[in-house]
Amino acid sequence: MGIISIEKANNLMWLGRYSERVFTTLKRYENSFDMMLDMKPDFYIEYCERLNIPNVYTSADDFIRKYAYDTDNEDSIFSNLYRAYDNALVMRDFISSDSLAYIEMAVFEMKKARVSDSPLIELQIVRDNILAFWGCIDDCVDDIIIRNLIKVGRRIERLDLCLRHGDEKQELKRHFEQIQLYGTRARVQFDKLNYYKLAYELEKPDTDYKVAIEAVENLIKM
Amino acid sequence: MEELNKHVNTVNHLLARYGVRFGIYKNNTFKEQLFPFDTIPRIIPKAEFDYLDKGLAQRVTALNLFLADIYNEKKILKDKIIPEDFVYSSSGYLPECEGIMPPKGVFSHISGIDLVQGDDEKWYVLEDNLRVPSGASYPLIARDLCRKASPNTFSHNHIEDNRNYAELLKKTMDYVNTGGINVILTPGRYNAAFFEHSYLAEKTGSILATGNDLVVEGDRLYYQEYDGEKMQVGAVYRRISDDYLDPMTFVPESVIGIPHIFDVYKKGNVALLNAPGNGIADDKGIYYFVPKIIKYYLNEEPILNNAPTYLPFYEEDRKYVLENFEKLVIKDVAEAGGYGVVFGKDLSKEEVADFKNKIISEPRRFIAQEVINFLDLDVLDGDKIVKRKADLRAFVLTSDKAEVWKSGLTRFSRNPDSAIVNSSQGGGFKDTWVLSQ
Repeated sequence: MGIISIEKANNLMWLGRYSERVFTTLKRYENSFDMMLDMKPDFYIEYCERLNIPNVYTSADDFIRKYAYDTDNEDSIFSNLYRAYDNALVMRDFISSDSLAYIEMAVFEMKKARVSDSPLIELQIVRDNILAFWGCIDDCVDDIIIRNLIKVGRRIERLDLCLRHGDEKQELKRHFEQIQLYGTRARVQFDKLNYYKLAYELEKPDTDYKVAIEAVENLIKM
Repeated sequence: MEELNKHVNTVNHLLARYGVRFGIYKNNTFKEQLFPFDTIPRIIPKAEFDYLDKGLAQRVTALNLFLADIYNEKKILKDKIIPEDFVYSSSGYLPECEGIMPPKGVFSHISGIDLVQGDDEKWYVLEDNLRVPSGASYPLIARDLCRKASPNTFSHNHIEDNRNYAELLKKTMDYVNTGGINVILTPGRYNAAFFEHSYLAEKTGSILATGNDLVVEGDRLYYQEYDGEKMQVGAVYRRISDDYLDPMTFVPESVIGIPHIFDVYKKGNVALLNAPGNGIADDKGIYYFVPKIIKYYLNEEPILNNAPTYLPFYEEDRKYVLENFEKLVIKDVAEAGGYGVVFGKDLSKEEVADFKNKIISEPRRFIAQEVINFLDLDVLDGDKIVKRKADLRAFVLTSDKAEVWKSGLTRFSRNPDSAIVNSSQGGGFKDTWVLSQ
């Protein structure tokens, strides 16, 4: 097992969370983009409500640009990518230069997409780089704790986002099972109260999504 | 070589991909910049490098003996080779280090010696950097990428492989390790050289730590793990300056240091690379005395030349400096990174008068050097090849003996009218090839 400080364990988990946030959000953003073209132009209002982020956008077009690329907007995809980058940069010695390079490239591609005539197509490359980053971690990093700290962070974020978007129960349970699996492998301490609260909410027929989101946000204490 | 030059943009793109950049603060804002790489290397023939190798090892060996002496017996002061006041008034001298002998007696484990080659092809040492010299990682990673970009260039030329730097560094850390893990201590990601800290940690298998990760308990230094375990630390390659290393001993406001680490070091329970207090030996004023230091400790003639230097501290030198101001370069001993360097010829009459007054009122603060006409190096500028000023930072790693890394960081000025090569001032870098035959 490697030697990991509290600060670094935190960085690894948040690296997992932010990379997942960018990846999953990009997918949802692409679907929303498509929907707003000719079906539901105001869908962005609902999107902001779901994620509980301030609706600072004046129109669908404004949302499409600012939500993706505005680095002054702390909720934008690009701001979240920079947070992934910030957490990755300080972990070079743990995750390897080769893995880190994919996050560097995701940032580079995001910058390119920002000035492109066709930003949606270009964003595919950002997603590809994040996928490659996760693949590289699996390939290059031998340490089981490091790999699983990133994975548990990813699954917490995925469950959080799925809850906010009101996804199917089956999907939510699958992510929770993976949190348990990766969390055990990473030897993280789950907060018992929130763990059982989340398990209970996901099992009962009338899940209280707000309670479940609060529980998943406080699932791990470091 | 032409084949390699065709790939200059690709190699620079790959350097960006691997995050090879440095940070600078401008107007209180942190900015990361790419460090432009030129594929035309500095080439040092074998015989020439053999000469540099001997000279550099000699210089660093003598400087290590000087440091051990200054903080212990002080024979060189008693024998009046260097004026006592000159040492004690230096900001690099730390009274807190008095009486300390670091593990295995090594003070400067990683030394960065800045040299230039004059247009007479003679090498001159410009500066000794014995505190926290940086820069080895840049040619290290650039070489790796150049070998991929143009394999034939490397199979057809006899070039010493420089990719053993991490091995040399690990050996240096292991040699003085007092028992425990090796750690590279960084101030954090907003430090100018953070890329280097993280890259060297990866390559040496050391743990990259910030001050928050380390704690002193019972006269030992520990790395705190996230599950509550503590791992003893035997060697710290610290990339933070003496001032911020330990708030209990040095600057109390430091939030990047480790309280009481200096006490652990004093008791011999951890090695600090480089040792605190080294600033006295790389003081620009002490530089003047290095040839005397070599003769004194090694009883040998210095192999490498200093640039002709004058100390306004001495009356005779002060007179010379004031009379010949316009043809000299004046350096503020307290400054680094290319700052505080003034060419007499570039100043107006009023500025010259002001500066001369400063020298008269604060003679210890300045040194003056004859301007060396650098041997310009070829640099790619788009499709053209142009001539630019360049220096060489050679790295000497000291464990049981001083070993010179068979490469180095060649920095060049991108401005045709400037001899300032520092990255913080817009300079670029080259690989340094040492020929093996």
